[in-house]
Amino acid sequence: MQGNQYSVKVFEVSIEDEEEFISFFDFNHILFTNRLIVLHGEISDNIREYLNSKSLCFLENIDLPKKSARNIVLESGITNTDKKTKEEIEKKVTEEFDNKLNETKQDFEEQKAVLAQENKMLEAKLLKLLERLKNNLTVLDHMIRSGQELNIDGDLLLLGRVNSGATINIEGSLIVTQVIEGAIRCNGNFMMISSSPKANIVFNNIEVNSEQLKDGLNRVELKDGEIIITPILEKEINWVQL
Amino acid sequence: MGTVIAVISGKGGVGKTTASANIALGVAQNGKKCAVVDFDIGQRNLDMILGLENRVVYDMVHVMDEDATLNQALIKSKADENLFFLAASQTKDKSVLNETKVKKLVDNLKESFDFVILDSPAGIESGFEHTIKFADVAIVVVNPEVSSIRDADRAIGILDSKSQRVKDGNFVDKLLIINRIVPDMVQSGEMLKSEDILEILDIKLLGKVPEDKGVVDASNQGKPVILDKNSVAGNAYKRISARLCGEKVSMEDIEALDRGFLKKIVGIFT
Ligand SMILES: Nc1ncnc2c1ncn2[C@@H]1O[C@H](COP(=O)(O)OP(=O)(O)OP(=O)(O)O)[C@@H](O)[C@H]1O
Ligand SMILES: [Mg+2]
Repeated sequence: MQGNQYSVKVFEVSIEDEEEFISFFDFNHILFTNRLIVLHGEISDNIREYLNSKSLCFLENIDLPKKSARNIVLESGITNTDKKTKEEIEKKVTEEFDNKLNETKQDFEEQKAVLAQENKMLEAKLLKLLERLKNNLTVLDHMIRSGQELNIDGDLLLLGRVNSGATINIEGSLIVTQVIEGAIRCNGNFMMISSSPKANIVFNNIEVNSEQLKDGLNRVELKDGEIIITPILEKEINWVQL
Repeated sequence: MGTVIAVISGKGGVGKTTASANIALGVAQNGKKCAVVDFDIGQRNLDMILGLENRVVYDMVHVMDEDATLNQALIKSKADENLFFLAASQTKDKSVLNETKVKKLVDNLKESFDFVILDSPAGIESGFEHTIKFADVAIVVVNPEVSSIRDADRAIGILDSKSQRVKDGNFVDKLLIINRIVPDMVQSGEMLKSEDILEILDIKLLGKVPEDKGVVDASNQGKPVILDKNSVAGNAYKRISARLCGEKVSMEDIEALDRGFLKKIVGIFT
């Protein structure tokens, strides 16, 4: 034969008013998690379900020898001993809660520090970007002569010629209002250039056929890896008709 | 204080030395005291064109190294008493010049002359840089052909970045001479038009000089072509010199001169 011996605290009760019983356990069930509840007489399905839902251990239809029992008056809610247990549990719960809270707080602080760091980095990045945006456009109103080489990070608006033997390397977009006879290496989104039959123009590593550039300004873009040249049309003037 | 003029071209053989000699003599004839200096170290040319080749005792390097005074080294021209010449050193060592020495020489010349004309070597090497470093004005000589224009463009770019005047926040005036224009060829489109050249270089036009056989003869004789009243090139240099002295001389449309007209003029005087 094999047996197990438990020493458990037992709470013995008989149910007179089911509602009262439930409201008592609603409030106190936490105190009974480690106890065995012994119920006098048969209990209703309702109560059984309720006790199960609270994960309480119980035995029904059992009478214990009267001697070993301490009387508890239900109306008072909780007995002294139970009060102590409750305090203990509350203390434990509070402690645990405090610990958890501290842990969370620590986590939070750590995360806050990490976030602050990231924030700082982002801010610096943004500042740099803003700075770049601010200085992104270069405007030059002189010609680029033979042998001169311009290296430009952002965009360029050039109001002078690009002479034979001059080179412009540019990461951004480019607008040149005058004729180009030198070399252009542009990696930007677009170029606006005029008819420049003598120029050597490479746009995003693709050579532009300068014969396709019409008189006046042309918009040069890349679409699906192919160069698209669109002449900018002159604005039509709608004269007042009398 | 006189005006220092550097005569530059980028490309060689386009007519810098011829221009220097003729302009120097031209402004001297206009009553200006002028010193013309050969900066083409190792390649004396200017003395020949001015007819002074046998009179050189001391050269520019002697003056810079204080082996001779400026007055000892300056040679007075036979053609005009206002014109003085300072010869280039014949040494092959081009490193004899340095900035301090050049500045001192130029400053000294500026004090006693109205015009100081510096005949630059071809190219854009150190000799060229020394010539343009302390110049107030540059005369850019080109021939109406693409390679000459391109090299001149390069030289102008370097001038604008290396000049002391530009570094001091001032401007160096650049004046263009288009030399050896053949009107027929311009008209037939074989030769670049002046307008196209001016558009590319974007500097002021000082004058146009036609192709003229008389130039070579004059140089060989040591008598600058400006002395020849019948030479079209000589007359062009006269107008250029007058303009430099502040006279308003209208620009002659040499390209429009047809050969028949030229022949007629030549016929009248010869
Ligand atoms: N207008 C002209 N018509 C005909 N021949 C010319 C004219 N101008 C210059 N020449 C000739 O061209 C040649 C080169 O001229 P010059 O020596 O003046 O050039 P340069 O620029 O000084 O050359 P370098 O670069 O070698 O110093 C000479 O033989 C000169 O006589
Ligand atoms: Mg020369």
